[in-house]
Order: sequence, then structure tokens, then C-alpha cells
Amino acid sequence: MTDSKIPYTRMDVCNRSLETVKHSRNLGMEVLSAEEEGVRVRLPWREDLVGNPDTGVLHGGAIFAMMDQAGGMANSCRLYPNFEITPTIDFRVDHLHAPTPGKAVVCHATCYRLTEHVTFVRLTTWEEGKEEGEPVATALATYTRMKIDKNGRVVS
Amino acid sequence: MTESLKALIEACRQGKADYQDLMDRVPYARFLGIELRVQGEELTFVLPKNPENIGNPTLPALHGGAVAGFMEQAAIIFILLEMGEPKVPKTIDFTIDYLRAGLFRDTFAECRITRLGRRIANVHISAWQKRREEPITIARAHFLLSEENN
Repeated sequence: MTDSKIPYTRMDVCNRSLETVKHSRNLGMEVLSAEEEGVRVRLPWREDLVGNPDTGVLHGGAIFAMMDQAGGMANSCRLYPNFEITPTIDFRVDHLHAPTPGKAVVCHATCYRLTEHVTFVRLTTWEEGKEEGEPVATALATYTRMKIDKNGRVVS
Repeated sequence: MTESLKALIEACRQGKADYQDLMDRVPYARFLGIELRVQGEELTFVLPKNPENIGNPTLPALHGGAVAGFMEQAAIIFILLEMGEPKVPKTIDFTIDYLRAGLFRDTFAECRITRLGRRIANVHISAWQKRREEPITIARAHFLLSEENN
């Protein structure tokens, strides 16, 4: 669904949401790609995001926050060119193994089902450079759709 | 677990160290600005309102991820203090339900251990802003209690 008449791309939409969401910016998140089938997002390893100071492993919460945001962007990619706010209903993450300290992680999120009021999202996170191998975390989430008008007001 | 961490936990239990020191060892806890309030032996975790944790600038509302990270870290500290012989809790899974928007104000959390096994802990975490009876989020998590450091 590529329409050259639409003056903005899915990548623009995702970058725009990163710009406005301060906490995600603070995490150092970066959008790598944004297509109809999903979004790819990177979270750097940073000392202030560490959960265990004795090992240097990233905190599960930092990985969670990045994935929750990636899920929202997956919704935007699916809803493109329309724009809606999609608050999270529920989110479950499994931490399969700890990412190597010092290594960034990359999340792929896809909205695999869109209904009138709810979106269903699947997410996988790998250590950067090991996207073909075992994921570090997988997640399933649902979000609710809040349609907004031109003035940014919630319609339904 | 390192000897220095074991010693700090023991000192906290005996009232010789501040629980906040235990929290502040964790870089991500400082990143979010998590605080701790102790009443007797009861622990309440606090995520003070902070513009850095905003997710929706229009409402404004806290980032759901910041609230989740806060709750996960609260559970980790809670388990550390509950175990007779402390081991490092590693998150196996974390499941959260968002019930109300997290407004731009202080957020509180309390933890309840549903089961503390030898290797696995099951914890329920509840977070609220206005009243405890009106949680903004509830979460359930499993932690692996590991002898090792990594």
C-alpha cells in the first residue's frame, strides 16, 4: 500500500512518535525500518540502563519499555496513512536469555491482527548482529484504538 | 551474588543501611528515579512524577514502559529482601494489565509474593496514583532465583 500522494512515510510517522515521546527518546531508541508488515527498533546498551551492576546486563524494564513502544509503532505502520493513539491493554514479555553486556538489542514488532477496537501485536528482540539466532525476548500484546480528529481530539 | 550485595541486604534488614542504597545500586532504577518508603516492615515503592518519564505529552501521561520498569524493579528489590538466603532474581516473564492512564503525578507500587520457591518466585505487583484501591496497572511476574552472578 504505497501511495506516492501521501506526503509522509511510515518511517516519518514512527520517527515523529519517537520525537514526541520523551521517555523513549531518553532510552536512546532508534527506528531502523518501518514497513506495512512491521517495524524494527534498536535500543543501545547504555550504562544507565543496566539492571545488574555486577554483570552489566540491560534491565528487563528497559527492554520492556522499548518493546512496548515498538508495538505502538507497529500499530502505526498497520494503520498508515491514518493516525490513531493506541494505548496498551496488556503486554507479556518472556526473557529467553540475557543479552551480552555492551551489545545493543533490536526488536521487530508486527501487528498481525487489527479489529475495530483492538490491535494484536507480536514482538521479538535479538542481540544486534544476531537477528538470525535465538531471540533474547519475545512478547505478545494487545492495544486499544483511539481514533482522533484533525485537532488531535479523541473521537472514539 | 557478590559479598558486598549480601552485606548491604543484611545491613538494610538490621536497620544499619538505607533501603534506598540498595535501590540506587541499580543504574536503571536511578534512570527512572525510583524511591522507597518504609513503614515498619512494609515497603512502598515510589516513582516520583518526572517529566523524563512522560510517554504522551498531550494528556500528559507517563510512559507505560516506565511504569512497567518501575514495577519490575520494585518486585526485584522486594524479593531480595524476602529471601532468607538472598539470590539474584532474574526476570523470566512479566505480564502487565493497563487499567487506567498513568497521569503525570507520583506513582506508588506494592508487591505481594504469591509463591517463593527454591528456584522460582511468583510475584504480584500493583501500582496506583490516587488511591491504592484504584490501581492504574497490575502485573504478575516470575523470577529465577539464581546462585550465580550472571
